[in-house]
Amino acid sequence: MSLPQPAPSLERHAKREERGPAERQERGPAERQERGPAELQEHAPAIRTVGLCKRYGQTLALDRLDLTVNKGEVYGYLGPNGAGKTTTIRLLLGLHRASAGHAELFGIDAWRAPVAAHKRVAYVAGEPFLWPSLTSAETFAFFAHLREGVDVAYRDLLVERFQLDVNKKVRALSKGNRQKVQLIAAFASRAELLLLDEPTAGLDPLMEVAFRETVIEAKSRGQSIFLSSHILSEVEALCDRVGILRDGRLVDQGTLAELRHLSAQTIEVTFAGRAPKLDDLPGVHVTNVGANALHIEVSGSIGAVIAALARHPVVALTSREPSLEEIFLNHYDGSHSDVRD
Amino acid sequence: MSAISGALAATHTPRARARVAPARARALALARRAFRDARTRTIAYASLFGIYSYIQPLAYRDGYPTLSSRLAFARAFSDNKAIRLFYGLPHDLLTVTGYAAWRVGGTLAIFAAIFGLLAAVRAFRTEEESGRMELVLAGPVGRNTAYLSSMAAIAAGTVILWLAELAGFLAAGLPAGGSAYLALATVSVVPVCVGVGALASQLAPTGRAALGLGGAVLAVLFLARVVADTTSGVGWLRWLTPLGWAELLRPFAGARPLVLLLPLAASAGLLTLAARLAARRDLGTGMLPARDSAEPRLGLLSSPAMQTLRGERGSLIAWLGGVGAVAFILGVIAKSSSSAGISKSLNRELGKLGSGSIVTPSGYLGLTFIFFVLAISLFACAQVAAAKREEAEQRLETLLSLPLSRCRWLGGRLLLAACAASALALGAGLLAWVGAESGGVEISLTKLLEAGVNCLPAALLFLAVAALAYACVPRASGAIAYGLVTVAFLWDLVGSLLSAPSWLVELTPFAHVGLVPAQPFRAGAAVVMLAIALVGALTAIWIFQRRDLTGA
Repeated sequence: MSLPQPAPSLERHAKREERGPAERQERGPAERQERGPAELQEHAPAIRTVGLCKRYGQTLALDRLDLTVNKGEVYGYLGPNGAGKTTTIRLLLGLHRASAGHAELFGIDAWRAPVAAHKRVAYVAGEPFLWPSLTSAETFAFFAHLREGVDVAYRDLLVERFQLDVNKKVRALSKGNRQKVQLIAAFASRAELLLLDEPTAGLDPLMEVAFRETVIEAKSRGQSIFLSSHILSEVEALCDRVGILRDGRLVDQGTLAELRHLSAQTIEVTFAGRAPKLDDLPGVHVTNVGANALHIEVSGSIGAVIAALARHPVVALTSREPSLEEIFLNHYDGSHSDVRD
Repeated sequence: MSAISGALAATHTPRARARVAPARARALALARRAFRDARTRTIAYASLFGIYSYIQPLAYRDGYPTLSSRLAFARAFSDNKAIRLFYGLPHDLLTVTGYAAWRVGGTLAIFAAIFGLLAAVRAFRTEEESGRMELVLAGPVGRNTAYLSSMAAIAAGTVILWLAELAGFLAAGLPAGGSAYLALATVSVVPVCVGVGALASQLAPTGRAALGLGGAVLAVLFLARVVADTTSGVGWLRWLTPLGWAELLRPFAGARPLVLLLPLAASAGLLTLAARLAARRDLGTGMLPARDSAEPRLGLLSSPAMQTLRGERGSLIAWLGGVGAVAFILGVIAKSSSSAGISKSLNRELGKLGSGSIVTPSGYLGLTFIFFVLAISLFACAQVAAAKREEAEQRLETLLSLPLSRCRWLGGRLLLAACAASALALGAGLLAWVGAESGGVEISLTKLLEAGVNCLPAALLFLAVAALAYACVPRASGAIAYGLVTVAFLWDLVGSLLSAPSWLVELTPFAHVGLVPAQPFRAGAAVVMLAIALVGALTAIWIFQRRDLTGA
């Protein structure tokens, strides 16, 4: 990997951007893998996918995904079951082969040079399948043989923090405890990038707190984290940026502030008498809550709504930014405001 | 409720989806589910039963058309302990039916025993270990219902085996009534071994341990029959083992149907006991204590191959023990093969049956070592099946997310399998020599080690074939690999008998294995097979590196 190569052409780099996103990247392995001498890889983002597609038979599981996760960033990857989150991670790890497009970790092609890429990556699988006859301690020892640079002192600290009995065999552990084994092994590796696939499934609330603490520690050390999840509070609390995946497509992406800005604001109003009709205002979605209260969602400016409300006897009014949950539901279910509350 | 409605929906009964099914429908749905789950095994065994019972009578008729040739055959075989070891005590070798009862009944009874054990452990332990039984029992299904449903599924499978064997005999022109009775004698072994497996499943906490325990019991039951058939004065031992009962039923040789009461009583007793134990214990546990905690032992964790060795060492030791024990016994009884009274022409006739020059100790050993080629080839398939399990159970995903190449993972496993196969082959040679020495046969250690090594080219070829199947079609790879080994072996036995063209007969690798020590080692064929094996293994690794991981 670190063979000295002719200076990387930035033109070539730029050219790649011009290619159509769904266009299949057929390129010699030498060019791909050794494109980056150390300096270029220094600047490469932790994750970069270009037009990444995955088709399983007739099903398009992932559709032209363009994704960049910078170094030191915690990226929340949201989507309901079956949206393509795990598929994305499998492509990032080179476990499945992209139908089109490509994925790079630190500038290293995920499919062509998986071993070089994995030296810098740790993974927590969605289902904690491990070797039933090994104890946790033996599992850690096995992983340590396969990866250099495990921080044993930090691992011991994590074992303490997650309250794991390392002498229990994996087959006697509950799902949550097996998940802890995976998490401890991943974080103790001190890998530069952590790919976490629904990592807190099965953890109790106390362990969830321990998990968040560990993520924040990793972030403070400059590690990048790709957190696939559908637990919105977790993503809201931890992530710098969020991507929302739906049916294999990235439908929205940005910081929470950006996503909020683009989404509807919520206003709840209570009137002295019967609630008026406000449906005819543009960009406004109104739901009646009882006889004299309204739940209003406004995309864009709220000036027109305020002006309309001023003509009615308003008793109480609250306005707030949308929660991540609302942003999320907004992307998934057009009729979301009707089922709220 | 959701679990059981799931199980019911899986069987596509519209009634089940509509409302809560009555108890009997629930039990039926569970039984159907279990039957479906076992379909691959049932089909494989039924094919074996049908083909074997069809081919053997044909081969006998073709090989020994006249009374005089049959008399000579009977004289050579009826007192040959070395032959009895495999097929049991012959009662009548002068008729096709008597021959079928001995050769087909004796062989298939052993397979019936294995079928019963596998089916029982799968139904009564593996289902529980995987957590599926918990889902079923969380619905409105009692333990007894679940137990009986599994039993019903196994019973249906057994009936299919019976029908397959009967169909084979009928196709070969044997009389219907006697054939039905002979097939019944064969499958009478199944319920007893189901009982053994069910009991082992109550005792052992894991499927693997249950198989080990049940397998050990089966080995003892087989050994009892072997001793009874080969040692004078201990014929009564036959009354203690289901494999002996199958002989004592004496199909086509003065039938004694009352003996059927023995397997009936034994299986009823074992199954009732197992059901009692199943009803008393905590779900997911065995009666024997499981060690769930242990101080870390850090040996054999340095690489995936070493860790595989660590996980598989129990089964490796069992294989070594089994192969070694059989090799030792073969060595001991090789002495009793004698050439007295056998004409050259008969020897050639014997050759047609695939029995070679059975009448000398080295001829006998040369012939029987073909069974080690078969055994070690099956062992190789089992190693690839273990690799496939690693992928299917998604542990491979975790492994390959580490800085570990697919080439190193699969290559390491194949290399380990090749080493283990070599250990088996050499172990067989060594223990056959120890047995022969103690039996008083003059034969050199080198010669028998050579016989062991002679097993390897074909076995490694099948290892590569299994690896290719795994790389290309992981889900079907087990069926393909085991199927090819079995078909190749049977084809070697019967191909020439069916007067197939020689190039067709020589398609099977078994045709190219010299009967060492009776015949010389065929170096040319061995080199070709090893070369194919190497190319096959490298191709398998190449393909494996280019496909999506499965599972999930």
